[in-house]
Amino acid sequence: MRKKSLADLVDYFKTDENVQQQIVKWHTIEPVKAAYSRIPESVHPKLVQALQAKGIGELYSHQEEAYKNVMEGFSVTAITPTASGKTLCYNLPVVQTILQNSSARALYLFPTKALAQDQKTELNEWLDLADASINCYTYDGDTPAAIRQKVRKAGQIVITNPDMLHSAILPHHTKWVSLFENLQYIVLDELHIYRGVFGSHVANVIRRLKRICEFYGSSPQFICTSATIANPKELAEGLTGEEMKLISKNGAPSAKKHFVFYNPPIVNQQLNIRRSATLEVRKLAGILLKQKIQTIIFAKSRVRVEIILSYLQELVINELGPKSIQGYRGGYLPTQRREIEKGLRNGDIYGVVSTNALELGVDIGQLQACIMTGYPGTIASAWQQAGRAGRRQGEALILMVASSSPLDQYVIKHPEYFLETSPETARINPDNLVILLDHLKCAAFELPFTLGESFGEHDLEELLDYLVDERVLHRSSNKWYWMNDAFPAHNISLRSASQENVIIIDQTERAHSKVIGEMDRFSAMTLLHDEAIYLHQGIQFQVEYLDWDEKKAYVREVDIDYFTDANLAVSLAVLEEDKSKETEQAIVSFGDVSVRAMATIFKKIKFDTHENIGSGPIHLPEEELHTSSTWFTLKAELHELTEDRIEQGLIGAAHAMQSIIPLHVMCDPQDIQIVPQVKATHNQLPTLFVYDRYPGGIGLSENVFKIGSTIMNEASEMIKSCHCSVGCPSCIGTDPQGIEAKSDTIKLINLFFTAIEGENDESKK
Amino acid sequence: MMSLKNKLKRMKAHLSDKDTEQENNNQKTDDSPNNSEAIPYMSMWEENHVRPYWVDQEYCLIREVRYPLTFKQGRYELGECKRAVQAWENSSFNHPLSTKGHSIDDLFFFDTETTGLRGVGSTIFMLGYAQFTHDEVIVKQHILTHPGYEVPLYMSFLENVDYSTLVTYNGKSFDWPQVKSRHTLIRDHVPKLPETGHFDLYHASRRLWKHKMESVKLTEVEKHILKFERKDDLPGYLAPAIYFDFVERKHPEGIIKVLDHNEKDILSLISLYTHVTFQLLGQDSEQTSDEKVEAGKWYKAAGNHTASGSLLEQAYSDDLHNHSAAHSLAFFLKRRGDIQRSANLWLKVCENGSAREKREAAIELAKYYEHQDKNTAAAIQYTQKAREALLEDENLKPSARKNEMAKIHHRLQRLNRK
Repeated sequence: MRKKSLADLVDYFKTDENVQQQIVKWHTIEPVKAAYSRIPESVHPKLVQALQAKGIGELYSHQEEAYKNVMEGFSVTAITPTASGKTLCYNLPVVQTILQNSSARALYLFPTKALAQDQKTELNEWLDLADASINCYTYDGDTPAAIRQKVRKAGQIVITNPDMLHSAILPHHTKWVSLFENLQYIVLDELHIYRGVFGSHVANVIRRLKRICEFYGSSPQFICTSATIANPKELAEGLTGEEMKLISKNGAPSAKKHFVFYNPPIVNQQLNIRRSATLEVRKLAGILLKQKIQTIIFAKSRVRVEIILSYLQELVINELGPKSIQGYRGGYLPTQRREIEKGLRNGDIYGVVSTNALELGVDIGQLQACIMTGYPGTIASAWQQAGRAGRRQGEALILMVASSSPLDQYVIKHPEYFLETSPETARINPDNLVILLDHLKCAAFELPFTLGESFGEHDLEELLDYLVDERVLHRSSNKWYWMNDAFPAHNISLRSASQENVIIIDQTERAHSKVIGEMDRFSAMTLLHDEAIYLHQGIQFQVEYLDWDEKKAYVREVDIDYFTDANLAVSLAVLEEDKSKETEQAIVSFGDVSVRAMATIFKKIKFDTHENIGSGPIHLPEEELHTSSTWFTLKAELHELTEDRIEQGLIGAAHAMQSIIPLHVMCDPQDIQIVPQVKATHNQLPTLFVYDRYPGGIGLSENVFKIGSTIMNEASEMIKSCHCSVGCPSCIGTDPQGIEAKSDTIKLINLFFTAIEGENDESKK
Repeated sequence: MMSLKNKLKRMKAHLSDKDTEQENNNQKTDDSPNNSEAIPYMSMWEENHVRPYWVDQEYCLIREVRYPLTFKQGRYELGECKRAVQAWENSSFNHPLSTKGHSIDDLFFFDTETTGLRGVGSTIFMLGYAQFTHDEVIVKQHILTHPGYEVPLYMSFLENVDYSTLVTYNGKSFDWPQVKSRHTLIRDHVPKLPETGHFDLYHASRRLWKHKMESVKLTEVEKHILKFERKDDLPGYLAPAIYFDFVERKHPEGIIKVLDHNEKDILSLISLYTHVTFQLLGQDSEQTSDEKVEAGKWYKAAGNHTASGSLLEQAYSDDLHNHSAAHSLAFFLKRRGDIQRSANLWLKVCENGSAREKREAAIELAKYYEHQDKNTAAAIQYTQKAREALLEDENLKPSARKNEMAKIHHRLQRLNRK
């Protein structure tokens, strides 16, 4: 039988009755033609030669625009969807400049080591074609000691990551004099990754970098590239502290795309449970792969990747052989990854199952189809994933298969939300005091501070004097000197959400105990207490001992039929109210809160039956977190509602908001916490607290205050659009305790909505 | 809005980290004197042979103390270092630590005290060194009096010194790179750093004594090799804290203790260089057979086979039961073409050496019987012996063991085909 083409399969999906029933929306995106510009006159003949060798006779308009602006001295940010030739946006002006002046230097920053390696390979290929002898090196933990000196002294293009810059380059800047004296360009690729806590850290690392450049007399331009987000210019300017020219018009062509929203069939009408997305993906991917359609399947977790992978390999083993379908996720060895990438590019591999690791700019060529197992969590990342499919000629099929989670169900039922809303806003808060002070220490270690310098928005003198009081710095008239025997960068991780994480140590084999992960302190209280069952990559571990003082959890692999669930008693106190809005019935406030949490007991719960088969106490001290919060308080006596009904309503609202908020403030769900309280300590009224799970806050709940009406509106929409009648675990998070649960929840949300919409904005000073 | 200070106070629990936490009893002092009368505790400094050195409004302090050549540091008088330099001059042995062609006043015994262990922010607050004149040893130590006064510190250091070779303890990877790093920060205000030769005695100690000492820290080497025990010495790790206190309070008391500590380090470098020289030249009457083996191996690594052979011969004749001496000597003899004698030595090693020596000796004997004696059976027998020795060897890493086993296996296969 003849193999079916993608077009045949598109027809099949459109007409097959079984499939058709589950398709909620079929959205076709028409192909876009490329917008070209001529290669500018000024481009060095060697580069023109290299471009021609690659078959490039003209540039895409955004590449030319980036080149021109950079050569004129501007810092730029280019919006570059997947596969739009973004590397030329920076490689062209950088190589051009170095060809003109061999002492010029450029520093490339990529969020991961793997991306840096890819870049080096690609860039070296270019340099070979251009017959240009330019020293281009990666500098990271894998760089052999023997060539480090050479990289530092002679590297004209140095490719690294922010963590390395923070802990290995900046604190040793005197070894990098020739780089810093001649640094002309700083390239920040994958800009959208630098958001939230990580972005806030990176912004400070860049402040330190600029300070050192100034010391050596250079003032580099920034060249940034970003996926499509709502605020690329704002993010780039926040990260670099430089004014940016935004290049938003992308000249790359795109193929015709079929974007299909697929909702699995309902298997339990009462509980409103649908067939598992994983199983549906197995079916759909099988159809594509059996016809040798090159397909990428995205899954949200590493475990999910492995499960889908084994399903698919089994499914097509006879047609294609197991090697033709591969997994791709963090934890694979670099060489293994390189092989998979190559296999995808040259067509040896038909299918790849990946976590969001392949969302980033790793070069795997263009595939024909993309399947998302569930909504990836943000609009930006959904478009990045979708961008993996679509060759120049022909068309692309993109399937988004919804899971039962309320967020997925919301998105699948409102495809217009996804297709029409502008993508999320990426927030950073570099002036978070905890983060800022960490980097102030590093900066003072690197160079003394002088009165009149600035570093962030706060009063620098006051902060530096605080560090003098802490005996970290020494002040002498108008200067502050590092006065401590520590190496400050050592204790600061750019990626962790809380400063002191608990390290998880697997000691299944006594002689070879190894670190398998880390977890923030708050989560560790309920997930890593003594005797807790901890799941890691699908493997069960039991915590043998949690050393709270040393922040280490010792675990051992086990095989048992229960999991554990711990109770966390949380109390919240309002420290200071900065802003509030109110109506007669509700108040919404923003300010600082203190969160105290204490783990009390844990239960052992049997798999499948969910029976409670035992319990035990947890002996851990109370933890306190000072952070920022937006809280929603019900002011009016609602006579018709009993306390129980209010409680159920608050829990329902909290559940809905937990799904909606990460979507709008562009953060990981665990970055933000929502706690309903029937009688809040500070006002004895029913209150819903939304707080940042990072000391000092990173601007998430502040943003919730700003866009609260949108959030409330959509939370209410989400619950209303659920097919259940009185509320279900999918929409309000619990089994309803009465027929009013759903309507009560919506009622409370509407009251909060009116309050935050309210005109009487009383910003308190 | 909450004031910044209140916020800082409130978040203190999140802000302080272990490494920088210290009790909070800070008092600010105005610490910018602008003439010599204002140098705090000047009379106390003077009593301790310390004088200021001014550049514009900034100063550092320099202590200068002279020692007679008869001053004894451990088992050597300082003056014996002159004998050591003369010994190199008279010797035909070439070695990385040889001063041949140099005089003793070219040597610059150098050590620093710093506020931390790595990174730009680790400040050097003391630069100490000793040099020979014809009848004494001059020890000079330059003290950074204020974190901002590095210009006078390096200015005085660079114009006072004239030397061609540094003698340090781990200065190649620590002290000198740190000097370069701090110098870079003020390079526009001070002369360039000179290019120098460098004798790092830490590496020498590792080469010569690692076989018998767990740690070759300078104080350990003093104790076990130079037979010299420090009394009332300040532990080195306290130096940063003392310096931070000095910056605050200006009182010389603690710093003088650091000066004494630093001076002991420097004087020990002189004795240590003397001792290392005598060992390398086989002129230490108390040198053990094992020490001669290590010295011989070092010459071999440095490419000087004549010297290596000479020391290995000595090591073996000193102690005919020293199998590692026999083993190393056998390699030397084989290289020189004295195949028969090397094979004889290996026959002994193969019976009595350590597991590694037994294995290597057996392999060498297997080669000998295969190629010289043309005795395949004996070659096979010794290869099997090597295999047994490999299985006995508990110090080998699993990967190395696998690798060795593969080689032995390969050799056996080849021999069996003959």
